Amino acid sequence: MIELLIRLVRRPQGLVGVALLALIAIACLFGPALAPYAPEKIDFLGRFRPPGWQNWLGADQFGRDILSRLMVGARSTVPMALVATFVGSAAGAIIGVGSAYLGGRTDEAIMRTNDAVMAIPGLLMALLLVSTLGNGAGNAVVAIAVAFAPGMARVTRSVALNIRNQDYVKAAIARGESAVWIIFREMLPNVMAPIVIESTIRVSFAVMLFATLSFLGVGAQPPASEWGLMVADARQYMYQAPWGLIAPSAAIALTAIAFNLLGDGLRDALNPKDER
Amino acid sequence: MTPALAIKNYTLDYVTAAGPVRVLHDISLEIAPGEVLGLVGESGSGKSSLAWALMRHLPDNAREIAGSLRLSDTDLQRLGPRELTKIRGRRLGMVFQDPSTALNPTLSIGRQVTETLLQHRGLSQREANALAVDLLGHVELRDPAAIMRRYPHEISGGEKQRVIIATAFGCRPDVILFDEPTTALDVITGARILALFARLREETGVAALYISHDLALVTRVADRVAVLKRGRLVEEAPAADIFRAPRHADTKALVQAVPRPERRLVHDKPGDDVLLAASDIEVHYGRAKLFGDAPPPATRRIGLDVRAGEILGLVGESGSGKSSMARALTGLARFSGKVRFDNRVITGARDMNAAYRRDVQIIFQHPDASLNPRHKVGEILSRPLKLYGGSAAEIPRLLEQVRLPDSYARRWPHQLSGGEKQRVAIARAFAARPKLVICDEITAPLDVSVQAQIIELLLALRAATGTAFLFITHDLNLIRQIAHRIAVMRQGEMVDLLPIEDFDADHVHPYTSELMAASPVPVG
Repeated sequence: MIELLIRLVRRPQGLVGVALLALIAIACLFGPALAPYAPEKIDFLGRFRPPGWQNWLGADQFGRDILSRLMVGARSTVPMALVATFVGSAAGAIIGVGSAYLGGRTDEAIMRTNDAVMAIPGLLMALLLVSTLGNGAGNAVVAIAVAFAPGMARVTRSVALNIRNQDYVKAAIARGESAVWIIFREMLPNVMAPIVIESTIRVSFAVMLFATLSFLGVGAQPPASEWGLMVADARQYMYQAPWGLIAPSAAIALTAIAFNLLGDGLRDALNPKDER
Repeated sequence: MTPALAIKNYTLDYVTAAGPVRVLHDISLEIAPGEVLGLVGESGSGKSSLAWALMRHLPDNAREIAGSLRLSDTDLQRLGPRELTKIRGRRLGMVFQDPSTALNPTLSIGRQVTETLLQHRGLSQREANALAVDLLGHVELRDPAAIMRRYPHEISGGEKQRVIIATAFGCRPDVILFDEPTTALDVITGARILALFARLREETGVAALYISHDLALVTRVADRVAVLKRGRLVEEAPAADIFRAPRHADTKALVQAVPRPERRLVHDKPGDDVLLAASDIEVHYGRAKLFGDAPPPATRRIGLDVRAGEILGLVGESGSGKSSMARALTGLARFSGKVRFDNRVITGARDMNAAYRRDVQIIFQHPDASLNPRHKVGEILSRPLKLYGGSAAEIPRLLEQVRLPDSYARRWPHQLSGGEKQRVAIARAFAARPKLVICDEITAPLDVSVQAQIIELLLALRAATGTAFLFITHDLNLIRQIAHRIAVMRQGEMVDLLPIEDFDADHVHPYTSELMAASPVPVG
C-alpha cells in the first residue's frame, strides 16, 4: 500500500491529485472545526458581500460566509459522490466481467437488459428511483449508483472480452478453476485500469448529479450546504453576486480534476509493467 | 568497385531511464552489388536495430555514437527528410516480418503497389497500373488484375508477403532489407517465398541484407553470413562454410541448437497402454445463427491415441486444425466425438472432472499471454497446487525443477525473459503431476538456442515423471528429433500417422513429403 503511494506521488499528476484530494479530505474531516464562521450564521449587513478580508470568498444572499459553507459542505458532497460512484462502478464492473466470461446467450441477455436500462437518461432514472424510494441523501446515493452501473458494465465488458481470449484465462478454465475465481482473480485485476479511470471521471458526474437532485428538491435538503445546492441557490443572483456561483462551481471542478489526476496516477502506479 | 551498402564502425546506443544501453558495437559490414548478406542473431542481438538505422527510422532515444552508413556513394546519415523519401523505396527497399501489419487495411492492393511507382518512377496512373499488374504476375500471384482490386484482408498471408516483395522490387532498388520475411508464415508458404526470392534475385541482381534468427534458413539464401551476438559481430564467413566449420563459440552454439532430424534426442520406447484415445473428434466454433448455418467444423473426424509416456507429434501448417485438437482435449472448444481417458468416456467439456483436468495439462504458445500479468510467479504456481492438492511449500521445488532460482517466486511475469516465462508455464503444468501434457507450439516464439534448452528441459522432466506429450508444432525437424510417432494434419484432416522410423519411407502421404521438402535442412 505504501509502495503504491510512493509510486503514485513520484509522478507529477499523481502528486497534484493526491495533494488536492488531501485538501478535500481535510475539509471533509475537519471542515466544521476550521471554518471561520458557522455555515448557517446569517449576517444581514453582509448580504452579497464581495470577497474580501471579512469573507474570503464573499457572502451569499443571507450574508452566510461562502468559504465556511464550502468547507462544511465538503462533508455532505464528496463522500456521497464517492460512495455512489464506488457502488455503481463495482456493480457495473462485476456485471460486465461476468457477462464477458459467460458469453453466448447469457451475455446477450445481460447486455440487452443493460442497454434497455441505459436507454433511460441517468437523471431520469435517478429521479424515478428517488421518487419511489423517497427523498433524502441516502436514497440519492442509491439512485446515482444504479444510474451509473449500466455504463460501467458496458465499458468493462468491452475490455473483458479481450481478456477473455487471453491464454491465461483459457489456462484457468483448462485447470478447472471456478467461475468466481476466474471473474474476480484472473479477469477483474486486468480490467482495473479502465475501471479506475472511468470511475474517477464519474465522481465528478456524481457530484453534479447529486447537486441536480438537490436542486430539484429530492437530494440534500436546504439549508444544507451541499455544493450543488449552493450552485442552485446562487443561480438567481448570478449577475448580482457571481462569487456565490463561482466558488462552489470551482470546488466541484477542482474535485473533479483532483479525481481525474488521481485516476491517471493510479493507472500508471497500478500497472506492474511500469516499474522497469 | 564501391560496395552497394557499406556499414563502417557503426555504434548505436539507446538512452533509457537507467542510462545509455549499447545495442550495436562497432559493426562493419559490406555488401557488394548483387550480393546477399545474411545477418543472424538471437532476439535482442540488435539485428532489427541495424535495419532501422539503415532505413533512417530509429526511435527518438537512439544515439548514433560512431561510424558511417553508406548506400554506394550516398552517406545515409547526412540525408534530410526530403532526400530520404527519395531514397526509401527507390534505392533502398524493405520487406517486413509481419505481412498482415505491413499493408494498410483500408487501401486496395492496387493503390498500395502503384503508390511507390507513382512516387518514385514518375509514371502516369495508367502506366503504373499496367506495371503493377506485371509485377504482381511476376511474383507468381494468380490473376493479378483481380488482386489489384482486393483489400489486404481478402488475400492470404503468403499472398500479402508476395505483394510486399513485388512492391519492394518494383522500383528496382539497389539494396533490399529483408527483416525475417518468412517467420510469420507457415513452412510451406515460407519455402515458396524463399524460392521466389531466389528467382527474383537472379533476374534483377539486387543486393540484399537478409535478417533472420534461423541460421539454417539464412545459409540457404545468402552468399555470406554474419553472426551478431549482443550487438557485436562475432563471425563473418561464406554461407557454405559457416555451418560446416563455425569458428566462434557463439556460432557453434547456434549451429548446435539448430534441430536436425537425424540427431534423435529420445531413445526409449513408449509403453503399450493407451492413455488417451480420441475418436471422431470434430471441433466446432460458433453456433448456427437465426439466419445461416453454423460454420463447418475445424477438424474432420480426427482419431488419435497417446500411449503412456509417449511423445506424439502433431504437425501441419497454420489453419490445419492442430491447435483446435488441443483446445478440444482440454475442454476449451466445443467438440463432438469421444475421448477415452483412464477408462472414462468423455463426450464434452462437462464430462471433464477434476481428475481429468489434473492429468491433462496444456502449455500455450505465447508465454506472455498464458501468464496473468497481475499475478506474481509464486501465485501462478500456487493455483494448481491448491486445486489438485499440494502445499505452497512445493513452489521452490517446482521452480528448481525448471531450473529457475526460488527468488523468482516474488517476480512479476514481465520481469522475466520469454524463455523464463515459458519455464514458469511448464512448471505450472507439471505442478499438477499430469499424465499427459499438451504443448501447443510452445517453442515457436523462442529463439533457436532457447528452444533447444526448453526441449532439453521437457525431456528431462519426462525422464523424471514419465509424462506423455502431445507436441503440436510446425517445425518438422524439431519434432523428428523427439517424437515416437508423428501425425500430419492438413485443412482439418489427418493425412498421416506414422511411427518415426517410417517417416523417411516412400509410402508417406504426398503432403507429408512436401512438408519435409519445405523444412529448411541445414546446409553441410
